[in-house]
Amino acid sequence: MPDEMEEIISEFITEAEESLDRIEPLFVELEQKGHDADMLNDIFRSMHTIKGAAGFLGFQSIVDVAHSSENIMKKLRDGEITLSKRLMDVILKAIDMLRLLLEHLREKDGIEEDVAPLTQELENVLKESLSGSPDGGVTVETREKEKDETSRPQDDNAVSNGEPAPSHGDETQRHGEEDNAEKPGEPAQVHKDTSHKAKEAAQNLRVDVERIDKVMDLAGEMVLIRNRLLNISHYFDLNYSSDTQTETLMEAVSFLDRVTSDMQLAVMKIRMQPIQKVFSKFPRLVRDISASVNKKVEIEIYGEGTEVDKSVIEHIGDPMTHILRNSIDHGIESPEERIAKGKPEKGKIVVNTYQKGNQIVIEITDDGKGIDIEKLKEKAVEKGMLTEEEASKMSDEAAVNIIFMPGFSTKETATELSGRGVGMDVVNNNISLLNGYVEVSTQKDKGSTFRICIPLTLAIIQALMVEVAGIKYAIPLSPIEETLKISKDEVDNITGQDVIVIRNKVCPLFELNGILGTGSNGGHDRDHKYVVVISLGEKKFCLAVDKLLGQEEVVIKTLEGIDTASSYVLGASITGDGKIVFILDVTAMSRSLVEAT
Amino acid sequence: MSDLNIKILVVDDFSTMRRIVKNLLRQLGYINIEEAEDGAQAYSKLKNGGFGFVVSDWNMPNMDGLALLKKMRSDEELKDIPVLMVTAEAEKDKVVTAIQAGVNNYIVKPFTGEVLKEKIDKIFEKIGK
Repeated sequence: MPDEMEEIISEFITEAEESLDRIEPLFVELEQKGHDADMLNDIFRSMHTIKGAAGFLGFQSIVDVAHSSENIMKKLRDGEITLSKRLMDVILKAIDMLRLLLEHLREKDGIEEDVAPLTQELENVLKESLSGSPDGGVTVETREKEKDETSRPQDDNAVSNGEPAPSHGDETQRHGEEDNAEKPGEPAQVHKDTSHKAKEAAQNLRVDVERIDKVMDLAGEMVLIRNRLLNISHYFDLNYSSDTQTETLMEAVSFLDRVTSDMQLAVMKIRMQPIQKVFSKFPRLVRDISASVNKKVEIEIYGEGTEVDKSVIEHIGDPMTHILRNSIDHGIESPEERIAKGKPEKGKIVVNTYQKGNQIVIEITDDGKGIDIEKLKEKAVEKGMLTEEEASKMSDEAAVNIIFMPGFSTKETATELSGRGVGMDVVNNNISLLNGYVEVSTQKDKGSTFRICIPLTLAIIQALMVEVAGIKYAIPLSPIEETLKISKDEVDNITGQDVIVIRNKVCPLFELNGILGTGSNGGHDRDHKYVVVISLGEKKFCLAVDKLLGQEEVVIKTLEGIDTASSYVLGASITGDGKIVFILDVTAMSRSLVEAT
Repeated sequence: MSDLNIKILVVDDFSTMRRIVKNLLRQLGYINIEEAEDGAQAYSKLKNGGFGFVVSDWNMPNMDGLALLKKMRSDEELKDIPVLMVTAEAEKDKVVTAIQAGVNNYIVKPFTGEVLKEKIDKIFEKIGK
């Protein structure tokens, strides 16, 4: 039984948090839209449900907070009071408190919060709203009503309260089906809106993440074994093609090949969740931040249904929050400034998410003043990160991405808000952890766009196998634009940097050999070179390798104890022939190679 | 004492609540328990037959407990299945509405296993099973 109880509690925590996640953005929407009975009822019901379950589990603080909030929601829903900023602030505070209480339960830290001041505040605000003036003037009747309502949970605990239905003779009485079926606060539309969702939820199953990850791991292992089998079957095909069993083997292996790919995709999809989970926090966040810096900002979110891997959900929140803070703090101008520029008083941030090939793209665009590129360059020179010459040669596209360079803190200009010890380089690092990259483009007085690109899945990727100095490496396929075979004469040298010209565009060329320090093994002497063209956002560079071996699916195994950024190794994988190969981190390469050019 | 093998449908939109109610019923010895997330899902499950008792929450999206009750009572096949309504609000007017709609009993949350047992026993006593 204790285990069962523990499971119920953990389910309660998850479910209650999900409810809060769902209703929180509704508040901000309400604040903009004004009264909306459907939304109010939705919030009311969630509070009500959380209260009910918490009551069973004996979480009195949660019951108290949810109860006071529910009271307010009910009065709002029924139109007895109207939503004010003060009311909203207090309710949001209550939601924060509920989250905190749930967190304590999850951590089992035994910390108790004193919720009395909050419930008192909730009640006071409700009284103020009912009386229509903040300084008392509450009628006796209202006060009694309040008292009655707040004391109810205690009454509910009393077993005797639930008397059997008074007259059983009444039970046989039936009223018309239609009359009274809908309560006044619940227009028919609510039903319509939620019916689809409810149907979807009905077929959902809650599964422990560990179990899914186990399946994911096994699927990864299967990919490796499949790759080995493919190799072996090719060998048989070449050497024993006359044997009828070889054909059977080939058939079986190719079937296994197909099934493995399908399974991999299916497992990947289990881990995918709509990015909405992260985005639902943003309206509130934007509201709070913009209020604290006296700016007016609205946020529009598109593509929140886009599905991404669970680990993306877990890690994208912080960097995105930081970008949003940055946009509100530094990007969007004050209302006065905006009016003077002939812009609408209210700034706008648009978050757009979509899938592009095997990547997820998240764009955060503000309509603020843009990033001052000259200032950025100045500061980079000041900090010794660039020489004056480098700075003056640097294109605007490249220069604006200086903000992501490690050590380029915006501390001097940062206000208290975005200067919380997290610079843009941390944003970059967080996103690199997801094998993604971030870039920014900006236009003076038009605004800036941060674009985050992340591969769809993290565990299994398509890679190009290359060979350098007799060693095999895997390069993730998604940033590879093309591969070329060039002759030695096509390589030019501009101020010490090898370059090649691809369709009239100059592109820096690096010997992979040199980067990895594996020693030169004749790559220079050959007449021809194989070149892998890497494109990461605005940055483009070429890697020269000895051989191109072809495409393979690799399962990324992370390596402990290796500084991936300085060794340019993302992880390792086992290939079809059973050997271990390193997977190269081209994002890290681009950062240290290209930014310096 | 009612038949412990009776098939019971627990209706609530919050899965933790379903689990709590199910747990309490199990502690009372009932073994045949199914769940539904709202009135609409409950109704279609009930139509598949075999259920002898319904414990339903009141406040649910899609189709609430009262609407489910009314729908059941007007359905020739389901009109005799006893329904226990779970509610957090002990508002008199609501209870009266439920009684008029033909609820067999109601229970105010949070409740204990004993209270639940008491309620169930009363219901089955009344309908003579």
